[in-house]
Amino acid sequence: MLISLSWLSDYVDLSDKTTEEIEYAMTMIGFEVEGIKNTGLPDLPNVVVGEVLAREQHPDADRLGVCEVNVGEAETLQIVCGASNYKVGDRVPVAKVGARLPGNFKIKASKLRGVESFGMMCSPRELGLGADHEGLMILENHPEIGTPINDVFPDSDIVLDIEVTPNRPDCLSHVGIAREMAAYYGKALTYPILETDFDGVRKTGEHGLITGVDVQSPEDCPNYYAHSIKGVKMGSSPDWLKRYLEAVDQRPINNVVDITNFVLHEFGQPLHAFDASKIKGNKIVVRKASEGEKIVTLDDKERTLKSNMLVIADAEKPLVIAGVMGSVDAGVDDNTVDIVLESAYFDPSGIRKTSRTLGLSSDSSYRFERGVDPKGANFAALRAIDLILEIAGGELVGPYIQAGSEPSTEQEINLNPQFIRDVAGFDIPDQKIREIFEALECRVTGNENEWVVHVPSWRGDLYRPADLAEEAIRMFGTDQIPDAPVTVAGLIQDDANTATLNERFSTYLAGQHFQECVHYSLRSGEEAKQWFSRFSMDALKLANPFTSDQTHLRVSLIPGLLDTLKLNFARKTGMERVFEVGKVFHEHNGQIFEMVSVAFAIFQPDKSSSWKSREPADFYTSKNILNALGQLANLKLDEVGYKNLAWGTTIWQEGHSAHVGSFADNGFEAILGMLNVNLVKDWDLDGTVLAGSIEILPEKVTLGHDIVKFKPFSQFPPAEKDLALVVDEFLHAETVRRELAKITKRAVNNRYELESVTVFDVYSGGGLPAGKKSLAFNMKFRSNDRTLTDKEVGEVFSAVQKEIESSTPYLVRS
Amino acid sequence: MEDTLKALVSEAEEGIPSVHTRPEFEAFKARFVGPNGSLKDAMRGMAQVPKEDKPRIGQLLNKTKQELEAIFQAALDKIETTELAAKLGDPIDPSLPSPDPVPGNLHPLTQVRNEIVRVLKSVGFIVAEGPEVETEHFCFDALNTPKDHPARDLQDTFYLPTDATVGNVSKHADERYLLRTHTSTVQIRTMLEQEPPVRIISPGRCFRRDTTDATHSASFTQVEGLYVDKGVTVRDLKAILDFLLKSLLGSDAKTRFRPHFFPYTEPSFEMDAQSSHLAKVGKDWVELGGCGMVDPNVFTAVGYDPDVYSGYAFGFGIERIAMILYGIDDIRYFYQNDFRFLKQFS
Repeated sequence: MLISLSWLSDYVDLSDKTTEEIEYAMTMIGFEVEGIKNTGLPDLPNVVVGEVLAREQHPDADRLGVCEVNVGEAETLQIVCGASNYKVGDRVPVAKVGARLPGNFKIKASKLRGVESFGMMCSPRELGLGADHEGLMILENHPEIGTPINDVFPDSDIVLDIEVTPNRPDCLSHVGIAREMAAYYGKALTYPILETDFDGVRKTGEHGLITGVDVQSPEDCPNYYAHSIKGVKMGSSPDWLKRYLEAVDQRPINNVVDITNFVLHEFGQPLHAFDASKIKGNKIVVRKASEGEKIVTLDDKERTLKSNMLVIADAEKPLVIAGVMGSVDAGVDDNTVDIVLESAYFDPSGIRKTSRTLGLSSDSSYRFERGVDPKGANFAALRAIDLILEIAGGELVGPYIQAGSEPSTEQEINLNPQFIRDVAGFDIPDQKIREIFEALECRVTGNENEWVVHVPSWRGDLYRPADLAEEAIRMFGTDQIPDAPVTVAGLIQDDANTATLNERFSTYLAGQHFQECVHYSLRSGEEAKQWFSRFSMDALKLANPFTSDQTHLRVSLIPGLLDTLKLNFARKTGMERVFEVGKVFHEHNGQIFEMVSVAFAIFQPDKSSSWKSREPADFYTSKNILNALGQLANLKLDEVGYKNLAWGTTIWQEGHSAHVGSFADNGFEAILGMLNVNLVKDWDLDGTVLAGSIEILPEKVTLGHDIVKFKPFSQFPPAEKDLALVVDEFLHAETVRRELAKITKRAVNNRYELESVTVFDVYSGGGLPAGKKSLAFNMKFRSNDRTLTDKEVGEVFSAVQKEIESSTPYLVRS
Repeated sequence: MEDTLKALVSEAEEGIPSVHTRPEFEAFKARFVGPNGSLKDAMRGMAQVPKEDKPRIGQLLNKTKQELEAIFQAALDKIETTELAAKLGDPIDPSLPSPDPVPGNLHPLTQVRNEIVRVLKSVGFIVAEGPEVETEHFCFDALNTPKDHPARDLQDTFYLPTDATVGNVSKHADERYLLRTHTSTVQIRTMLEQEPPVRIISPGRCFRRDTTDATHSASFTQVEGLYVDKGVTVRDLKAILDFLLKSLLGSDAKTRFRPHFFPYTEPSFEMDAQSSHLAKVGKDWVELGGCGMVDPNVFTAVGYDPDVYSGYAFGFGIERIAMILYGIDDIRYFYQNDFRFLKQFS
């Protein structure tokens, strides 16, 4: 909001403060200054009014003129000038030699293309008067030659653009801000004095311009005043009024409208002036619009209203969208003679809804939706009437009409001033607190420790002791908060499991040469359907997406990683190993489940850029990483069991990808392997991508915090046996391994220990029956108390082979 | 016999240069000293040697055997040397780069988050987390945000359809699911779960329905802190933020509080910081985040007695802190993941 310092000075004297001090003060009491604008001229000595006596073409430059300029001194000045908008006889600002223009531009005697020049004729921008640099500033009203330019433009002003937080609608006005400054500096606040003696006329007159105000929706419009003024003379506003309005970026329109705008910016109370002759039926109706009703607002746009919007209407049609904007048909214009002045209190939420629905915001709606002073309508109306009578003339006729009544706002807060110090944590004396409250017009009664603070009507934000604590600390000064050490008592608590897990994931993957990336959580519907056809994607769609490429919650981190690989491949940055940790969303039986997730991807370009080649990564590379990640999440993926992918082969390469775990059975799902080569090609990546991801329900995340129990281990060497089995080629090695381990364990029968059974060779091809492969296993045996003999291990080994032959479909390969 | 033995040695001498590999060597050696080798044949020939010649021929046989073994040993040494050379590969050039992947690295947003978490954990905060898809209750109602507050508008906040259900986040029948606009939701969840004292930080992803440009992002990361106990004051709040910002920005960092407004704190402040580091990136006072004393209505909503407990809360945008800290001028870099950006923070 714009605040003019000259306007402000009508209510509080800040003449002993610099702009910087005022800016600091406003900022530190909660009104951040976002911009400062100087209007009018800075102090410009040696810049005077001059008259162009003659202009000749510069001998060597087509676009320059050589002028003879009278600046009221004995001798005229020769000035070379590049502008072309002036003529001989024009009066213009002349910066004489020695002048200093804004931007510290010093004027010196100089030569321009060989012709001497003793000064400069100026454009408005060169003087610091706005942005106009089209040509010289022609002084149309012909001021006296030689007059200092500051005397020609005496009115300078400083306008602050301040941020007013939504809890302080009372400060959306000059009086409101003046009150804050007066309180901060301990200065007096001067309210404008009402001039006219209203009471007689207003209450007892018999010549009101309308017969009544019919408020049909009192909850939306609790209080409405209509005043009648007859015989005004429309015209333009006096200079002071125009200047005030222009300072706050209001375009002057005519005296009556300008006055209503002035009062809005003075007190924050929006007003509306009706041309009485345009009110059909001589009656104002405050009602809900009928659905589809139309009105052309002052910005020349036709608006279609809804039945929950409040309008001010006459007998025939809506004249104003209440509190938001008037119509082109009802406003005052040059021919207006009689005026009905509206000053009302509207329910804030109704105005906000209307303004939002219509996408129409005005100075008026901005204030009503935040809440104007519920008791401010009367004073503001009287202030406007004062100014109208003074400026536009006319006669106040009665009776005035009030529909409804002032909302009740009496707010009293019981406060022990010690509470303020308890919140602050430092000393603010009682006396100081009391002064602050009273400067804010919060009257304090009661006794020493039992204060009653009476809150003025415009401070709807104050209703609890905590609110008063803020006022006290704010006005006492947050720069008075003393430094203090951080003192804490220890708490025995752990970080959230999910936070610890994410940190483990990132630390591990960064250690495995992966670069962490971060992607948006919202993805396109098209992609979602392509990638995750097994989910019902409608369930993951937002109700109100903002852009068409971000409509759905992400189901996986991998598409984001592919985007990043694509960008980096195209840009040739050399980044090939990436990961992300973050939330993803799955659909299960129509419900959404938020999942903790980690995913990685390794891009292997077809054309390696390295001088030395390495073994390429493959499915088993992904598996190794995924197993490690699983371990960090206290998941034993090998035990749960990897399975070939039965779905998703448009995404994953058939025969080179797998999954493990299920949402329903395990509370997690993991998928890994090589991404479908065609998909990768569609992503503009020339190469292959190995990837993997785990998604876990947050409530299922465990970290395995149990304290380890040490197990003693054997000091004797192991005995080993190798065994190759011929099995069906589609059989998982793990299935066979488990079967073999089971049989072997049984054969050992606790006489010693079967330490491990591991696959060490996989073979298919020559020498084997069709449809078969050979798996070679190494079995390691060990005893805790002796070195095992060939005999005892040999017995077991024979028994195992016999058992395999007799009770499994596997053949022992000799 | 003598001739045969001599011929054997010459044959071995002549043949050995064409023996290069271990299998060739074994085969070649077997031709002489194997069970069916020619030396064995010769030895079997000893039977026919006249008695008087036996010592001499015997000696000769031994000598031949030794000569052959020497030849084989030399050949084996050569093969082993070759094999070792093959195993070792070419001598290295220590200036060549490793062909293996470059070191991994955390994203700058994670690094800044970790740094904030590290500092605050040193003064007893723990990390708390909560869902990104939240309910209106946790995002707004419990945080004292009025029913018609603009932040709740469809224009500003992402919602799920009214019939959506989230399996692991429950809601009341008449409220909607939304993407959380701040991580203050975690404060509410934590306070509902435990009694004071509470001292948590909640970093996490948030969403606002906003045009993405150099300074705005529809998706961003916040970290918020909450401390609730008996007798927590504004002075304590200032102390913790001084501590945090000095840790982040250097010991010359200064903070200031500007009174502000948030529905969930009273009094509320925005905090600005100033430091020589910030001055280097062209900043005087820089707005870093919001803070304040927990509003009594928030305590009431979670069942804490506001007459007994008080507390402070503060929050930062991690992107903003990172941008200020590193002098980054466009928030979109964080989500674009160009390696030339990311590797600057390794």
